[in-house]
Amino acid sequence: MKTFYDIAKQMLWLAILSFFINSCDSFLEVDLPKSQLTTVTVFEDYATANAALTSIYAKIRDKGLLTGNNIGLSNQLGNYTDEIIPYGTPSNPSLTFYNNSLLAENPDVAQYWNDSYNQIYAANSLIEGIEASTKLSDQNKKQLKGEALFIRALVHFYLVNIFGDVPYITITDYKKNSKVSRMPSSEVYQNIIGDLQSAITLLQKDYSALERIRADKYVARALLARVYLYNESYPEAANEASAILNQTNLFTLENINQVFLVNSKETIWQLQSAEAGQNTQEASTFIFLLGPPALVALNNDLVGSFSVTDLRGSNWIKAVGDGTATWHHAYKYKEKNFTSISKEYSIVFRLAEQYLIRAEARAHQGDLIGAKEDLNQIRNRAGLDDTKAITKEEILDAILNERRWEFFTELGHRFFDLKRFNQINKVLSNSKPGWNTTDHLFPMPQSELSSNPNLGAQNPGY
Amino acid sequence: MNIFSFYKDGKALYCLFFIWLCLSFSSLFAKSYDCYDTFFLPEYQIQGTITDGINPLAGVTISVKSKSNSTTISDYSGQYTISASTQDTLIVSFVGFKRALIPINGRSVVNVELLFDTTTLQEIKINAGYYSVKESERTGSIARITSKDIEIQPVTNVLATMQGRMAGVNIIQTTGVPGGNFDIKIRGQNSIRSEGNAPLYIIDGVPYASETIGYNQTSTIYPSTTSPLNSINPDTIESIEILKDADATAIYGSRGANGVVLITTKKGKAGKTTFTVTPSMGSGTVTKFMKLMNTEQYLAMRKEAFKNDNIPYSSSDYDVNGTWDQNRYTDWQKELIGGTDSIMDLQTTISGGSEKTQFLISGSYHSESSVFPGDFIYRKGGSQFNLNHRSQDNKFRLTFSTGYNSQNNNQPAFDFTYDARSLTPNAPKLYDSNGNLNWENGTWDNPLRNLNAKFESKTNNFIANCVLSYELFSGLIIKSNIGYTDLNTLETRISPSSIYNPAYNVSSANSSLYVNNTDRFSWIIEPQVSWVKQLGLGKLDLLAGATFQSQTTTRLFQSGTGYSSNSLIYNLASAKYVNVLLNDETIYKYLAFFGRVNYNFDKRYIINLTGRRDGSSRFGPGNQFATFGAVGVAWLFSNENFLKNSSWISYGKLRSSYGTTGSDQIGDYQFLNTYSTTGINYDGTVGLEPTRLYNADFGWETNKKLEAALELGFFQDKIFTTVSWYQNKSSNQLVGVPLPGTTGFTNLQSNLNAVVQNRGLEMTIRTNNLDRENFSWTTSVNLTFAKNKLLSFPGLENSPYSQKYRLNEPLNIELVYQYKGVNPQTGIYEFEDINKDGKITFPEDKQKTIDLNPKYYGGLQNQLRFKKWNLDFLFQFVKQKNKINPMGFAGQMSNQPVSKTDRWQKAGDITAYQLYTTGYNSKAVTADYLYDRSDASITDASFVRLKNISLSYQLPMPTKAMQCKIMLQSQNLLTFTKYKDGDPEFTSSGFLPPLKIITLGAQLTF
Repeated sequence: MKTFYDIAKQMLWLAILSFFINSCDSFLEVDLPKSQLTTVTVFEDYATANAALTSIYAKIRDKGLLTGNNIGLSNQLGNYTDEIIPYGTPSNPSLTFYNNSLLAENPDVAQYWNDSYNQIYAANSLIEGIEASTKLSDQNKKQLKGEALFIRALVHFYLVNIFGDVPYITITDYKKNSKVSRMPSSEVYQNIIGDLQSAITLLQKDYSALERIRADKYVARALLARVYLYNESYPEAANEASAILNQTNLFTLENINQVFLVNSKETIWQLQSAEAGQNTQEASTFIFLLGPPALVALNNDLVGSFSVTDLRGSNWIKAVGDGTATWHHAYKYKEKNFTSISKEYSIVFRLAEQYLIRAEARAHQGDLIGAKEDLNQIRNRAGLDDTKAITKEEILDAILNERRWEFFTELGHRFFDLKRFNQINKVLSNSKPGWNTTDHLFPMPQSELSSNPNLGAQNPGY
Repeated sequence: MNIFSFYKDGKALYCLFFIWLCLSFSSLFAKSYDCYDTFFLPEYQIQGTITDGINPLAGVTISVKSKSNSTTISDYSGQYTISASTQDTLIVSFVGFKRALIPINGRSVVNVELLFDTTTLQEIKINAGYYSVKESERTGSIARITSKDIEIQPVTNVLATMQGRMAGVNIIQTTGVPGGNFDIKIRGQNSIRSEGNAPLYIIDGVPYASETIGYNQTSTIYPSTTSPLNSINPDTIESIEILKDADATAIYGSRGANGVVLITTKKGKAGKTTFTVTPSMGSGTVTKFMKLMNTEQYLAMRKEAFKNDNIPYSSSDYDVNGTWDQNRYTDWQKELIGGTDSIMDLQTTISGGSEKTQFLISGSYHSESSVFPGDFIYRKGGSQFNLNHRSQDNKFRLTFSTGYNSQNNNQPAFDFTYDARSLTPNAPKLYDSNGNLNWENGTWDNPLRNLNAKFESKTNNFIANCVLSYELFSGLIIKSNIGYTDLNTLETRISPSSIYNPAYNVSSANSSLYVNNTDRFSWIIEPQVSWVKQLGLGKLDLLAGATFQSQTTTRLFQSGTGYSSNSLIYNLASAKYVNVLLNDETIYKYLAFFGRVNYNFDKRYIINLTGRRDGSSRFGPGNQFATFGAVGVAWLFSNENFLKNSSWISYGKLRSSYGTTGSDQIGDYQFLNTYSTTGINYDGTVGLEPTRLYNADFGWETNKKLEAALELGFFQDKIFTTVSWYQNKSSNQLVGVPLPGTTGFTNLQSNLNAVVQNRGLEMTIRTNNLDRENFSWTTSVNLTFAKNKLLSFPGLENSPYSQKYRLNEPLNIELVYQYKGVNPQTGIYEFEDINKDGKITFPEDKQKTIDLNPKYYGGLQNQLRFKKWNLDFLFQFVKQKNKINPMGFAGQMSNQPVSKTDRWQKAGDITAYQLYTTGYNSKAVTADYLYDRSDASITDASFVRLKNISLSYQLPMPTKAMQCKIMLQSQNLLTFTKYKDGDPEFTSSGFLPPLKIITLGAQLTF
């Protein structure tokens, strides 16, 4: 009996031990954290693949170049040029932009760079995921890829315009991406055009009947028209603009006070607010109710440049006084606070620009009558008479002025226009004491030059 | 490093070993051990008193030599009773005294006077984690402080108690706000990642994760997010041991690379039940302010800047354009960080027990207000319970410890130090005549607006640990350690609309709340078996064990925005928009087998082999397991015949060790390729984004440690000294490699084939200068010289680190421009143009390296006793360089150090600082930017600090059973330094420096 007892006990020990030892490797297996999915899983299903895409739109809205908060280009390039003056405390990041004294270690500039390439990475990751996916339908694949290509082109477009030569990133491999060199601007433009052309063929779906918050083929063409214009490919620019302008059932110029509303038919693409009832970040950045302004106010030169009859001067600008002094703020977006439903979204492309793109392209091609027609569309909508410009030079000057009045505080149009018209040094050295001729480009972020020697030299002047 | 799969090869071996071990002893359980002498002589009751010559000794163990079962303990008055026969011999033993054998010789009253054991220092058992070792016989490098050193310090953080007291341990306080963190580096920086240098903390055998439990959106008051280490109450600690070299740390394998901090809590002592109550009260103030400009100097600077720039005052230059009173002067440092915080502390302990069972129960409460304006308070309370039990036959032992600790911290959401230094001295007054915040018509951001932005945290921490051991037969013990920790924290930060200038007309619809809920619980089971065997003159010690550990961290970060009223701000349900920013659960699992073989020959030659095979869930398949090990040897040459009877050398030991340890401090799940939810909505869909760049192939960081040490005692150890030299080489660095932004991310987790070396020399000397009945004086000195060096880094020139590190230089360097001075003609700073291209360019001209590591550091402690007075003081000294506090260019609307009045004004001026500018002179702005990155911005920040001083007096009491001590204690009382920008200890600018604390307390024992 005792022997049996001993054997039983020994068997028990053995069982316990083998349990422990067999479980060793499996002991270390852990489940995925609840907030993560493997990359393969994401692209097995349209809903999750779509979520990977919408998050890029949300990133563009909240971070980097196109965001409407005070770090975004609308505000900072307004300060950098002659649209906006900063107020508030010395810690206001707009001050260095206003003084044109950006340094290579400026955190906002580094943020533009890093956020932009992060958005590009997300687009590339999506493109690679879609291409590898076996479960998504062809139609879904086309649509998702088309939108991702548009995003890639869009972000590179802004990068090349503020940093000059930049790398054009089309893959996610960090080993290659960490050693890239700067690509000449002209090549960057070729890549942008290529991506946009692919996007246009892939994007079949038409969002324009809905809230116009995602990229469809018209959005891609709107950017392509602008890209051709910046690239001095005038016939192509005019063509792309016409392709949109001809869709009169979809897009029309709105009454001056309805341009920036959610359901404006002038909108080609806008960024939806994060919450239902939330309005634009631009409104919270620019609008102040009492003086002195908390962040920024409009430059008086700009305010004074509007003709008294210009509806934009009276509707898109608001004066705020404290009894002794008066300040002005941009009033394109009017809702600073939450409303029961969102009234305004952040608009990136609108029809007015397409008119002015075609006007400029036509003027360069010698079609002065056509140019004036397009220009007058915008002037008339603003309550102004037809332009008195006659010669090509006069018309181009008139277009530059018109763009100043039409697009002030909108995503850095003024800065890009002055550069394109070769007027930047002439105009800004008069109005900005800190302006240097090398300021037409931002400095390359210091951290970027340190970590990738292949990027070469800093931009001149920094 | 051995990377064979545990599953394939190693397992069978272990399996067989375990089965052999267990089966061979299993039949022994049935045996009876109750076999003691049954030979009887008539017994008497023997009585007596045990003293140390002056005072009675309580808790002394008295036993009868031939009877294993009759043992008693002296009571508080030193008296004992025991039954023994007239022929018996009593064995009287007590820690710190020589064991006495007293023949009874027929007496019925036996009074014993125990002699101090002069070699007692060598007899102390040092906790080495899985085993303990006599100080004299240890082969590893272990530094130690005990409750004696801890209790005299009025601090709340366990790391603070060690500052300046241990060689090779460098601790820096990162903020003076209560509840803030300390940085600790044991023998230098091993990992290139700044967050990969934390040691392993073990409390009574239970690993205690030091990874943050905070969230950067809630704890904005601190330079880093909340550390769980604040939950440890220093007053419950009996001793802290720091394991430094390979011999001591290799048994902790993959987690020992950065050293191990072993914390042992207080245990009950046998004898009469004693109550101890220790109340104290005190106050704290900032150690040192910066010297800043007054209004006159400041306005002169501003006006000169406008003149230099040749521009008029603009409408927003309120300080000079007449909007603000130009005759006002406020010392903003005094106003905003110059307060006195009040400290209250109460500790109570009950302890006692019989010879077989002892217990200790303690409770504590601590509160500390703030040096900031406003009512802020940090509260901490806790309780501790400890139970020790031995079975009648001493074979079964149980130690149970449990501690509960609760913290309630209430602070402003932002540190006022930055405002205190930068606000213009003529800025408006804080309050208007009605007592409301003054916004001066919206022309300034009143710094006190941030009083409305509050940070609150509640942290509860529970630790329980149970050690069960059973001696199967003489020398063979099976043991298991079972531990559990549970920590939960709730942090909130509010940003109510009232923090905004009313000019912005912000309503409570823009008020917001951030909430961080973090829970972390872990369990550990460590079965072990140990065997001690006397083999002739030698003694063999064997230990084998396994660790199973699991840790789960759950985090929920939320924000709420848009309230109908600010009074509802803490209620997430009242927020119009609630955002879940993170909802996550991460699991970390860890499995290991460890062992130790120690052979001690005749107390002269000792060899100690330790090893561990580790597996961690933090690594991808194929990289999960690794083996670490070390060998340590010691030669106690003072036990050799030629020195045995030396009159001057009382102790001598040479020891050395070599081995490997590792580090897996990289966070969980880093090897997976995943998308994470963003919590942000677009087009009706909550987004998914790529979590990180994907790299599955990373494994353990390894650290090879080499040490040699000499320990010497002279004149009965009246002079005791240790000199140790070490060299640690850390390779296979696990790094968040900074990547160019073009990759989409700014870093990537991977192993980098770089080697970091830490070398150093540590010295400790302890001298008993005087030891008389009424007066004694002891001095201890510790001194550390440490050098950190980047030994190899393949491809450094083309790597992202090319402008951060230099081969053969320390990791903690700064590459700077070379400052030449102010050009007397232009008045602008000038720098060395190293590549002679006519301009100052990066990186070519930013090549001068400056070492920011301390050259040496240490402490000097003196303990004096005169009759009933005790005085203990510690000087901490550090020789180092540090950056000046960056203040931006002089002339902008921000205050400046008073030294900047020495500026350039006109051609020919030779000055320390360049001309003033408001910001329009972009050459001057750029030059100032370069100046902050040049050698001119690095200055001597060495200091000597009276870190701690404690004076106590033992009040005369009517009975010996009652004791009362009055104590006056101070921390950071005096600081001597040449550093001009505030406190020299500090490395993070814009945060509150460490405080100078003085407390008065009493300790009553009865």
